[in-house]
Amino acid sequence: MKKVLTQFKNHAMTGVSYMIPTVTVGGILFALALAFSGGATVSNPFLANIEAIGSAGMALLVPVLAGYISYSIAGRPGLVPGLILGYMAANPMGPNKVVTGFLGGLLMGFLAGYLSKWVKGWKAPSFIKPLMPIIVIPLVVVLILGLFYIYVVATPLGAMVSGLTAWLKSMSTGSAIMLAVVVGAMISFDMGGPFNKIAYTTGVALIATGDGHLMGMAGVAICVPPIGLGLASLILRSRFTDEERNSGKAAIVMGACGITEGAIPFAAADPLRVIPSIMIGSACGSVVAAIGNASNMAPLGGLLVLPVVTNALWYVLGVIVGVAVVVLLMALLKKPIKTAEVNAKATA
Amino acid sequence: MKIVGVTACTAGIAHTYMAQSALEKAAKADGYQAKIETQGAMGAENELTEDEIANADVVILGVDVSIEGRERFDGKKVYETSVSRCVTEPQKVIEDAINS
Repeated sequence: MKKVLTQFKNHAMTGVSYMIPTVTVGGILFALALAFSGGATVSNPFLANIEAIGSAGMALLVPVLAGYISYSIAGRPGLVPGLILGYMAANPMGPNKVVTGFLGGLLMGFLAGYLSKWVKGWKAPSFIKPLMPIIVIPLVVVLILGLFYIYVVATPLGAMVSGLTAWLKSMSTGSAIMLAVVVGAMISFDMGGPFNKIAYTTGVALIATGDGHLMGMAGVAICVPPIGLGLASLILRSRFTDEERNSGKAAIVMGACGITEGAIPFAAADPLRVIPSIMIGSACGSVVAAIGNASNMAPLGGLLVLPVVTNALWYVLGVIVGVAVVVLLMALLKKPIKTAEVNAKATA
Repeated sequence: MKIVGVTACTAGIAHTYMAQSALEKAAKADGYQAKIETQGAMGAENELTEDEIANADVVILGVDVSIEGRERFDGKKVYETSVSRCVTEPQKVIEDAINS
């Protein structure tokens, strides 16, 4: 059972791992175009082109996720079916023009992978064998799952996704603090995994409706874990190994660029202490951003987006508070590593 | 004792390489030969050759994500674990791999 869960997680994380550059390229170019426009709309034609390149990157987020989840499960024959089904999840499909986004891509990636793997195992006559990977597998998988998606999955899942978005949006006007706690905790819980991306993609969806408040909270929460843990590794020298300090420096840079994944090495080494700490830290940071009504119109977190954040001082204050909370919790929870152990690790 | 292996973590920029050096150092300390391929965000580096794989006594996979070319190790003794274990307790990982 544990092995099955690990495999599931490995497949999902493979998808996320290939997906990260789409988020960074898309997010950074978006933020650049907005920053130089000095407003929420890009009017300069050159900047509009930069924004268009960014959109192209963002548009590939869900397809690449689904494609590489499927690839991870089924190997090479799984890649293209996953990409196509991920594209379907990311774009309006069916009579009601349903978009299911990240959640849809996650689900279709897994389905595409397992179906491709199964079809791959079919005993085909030898004259059909060479056609399996280029015709039979992609065609069978995409046709069956494409129809399954449009007729069965899209409507309920799309309703769920838009319900979730609407719920979060309604909270962002009403109980913003509660929302900030939820968003902050989700962003940090799996550091770039499914929960993180649900909160993130919801924030991005709300930007499209002209509301950047959720993305403001998310933007703070996104950079708190890597910056907080990186800083903790540099300040609390006795509690972290030299290797951790090295990845700590990288983590701070990644955090500034809005990549929560920089925190993963720390969490993997000590999940029970690290994950609750960063969830609390991110939640605190998000709450500060919510109190200050910080709004972020770029689909990226971290400090790189500062030029396009309104109420940016509150945003920065949120980051500082969140990071301080993480460092403090690490100081309280992490035990100093025994010197012998440090030496053993250094020479090991 | 000859050991080969592959490390691969999610982001593919830090832990993959930390696990590689931890395993190689620990193996050296035990008097074993080890070569570890990394599959980080740059793709495969320090790639294992066919000969190296053929001559290896055990294969250690420290992986949190799917890797390329797993079929190269078909028929070998393969020990699979997480990247973080390779970083935190490389000696134990090598011991377990040999005794697996």
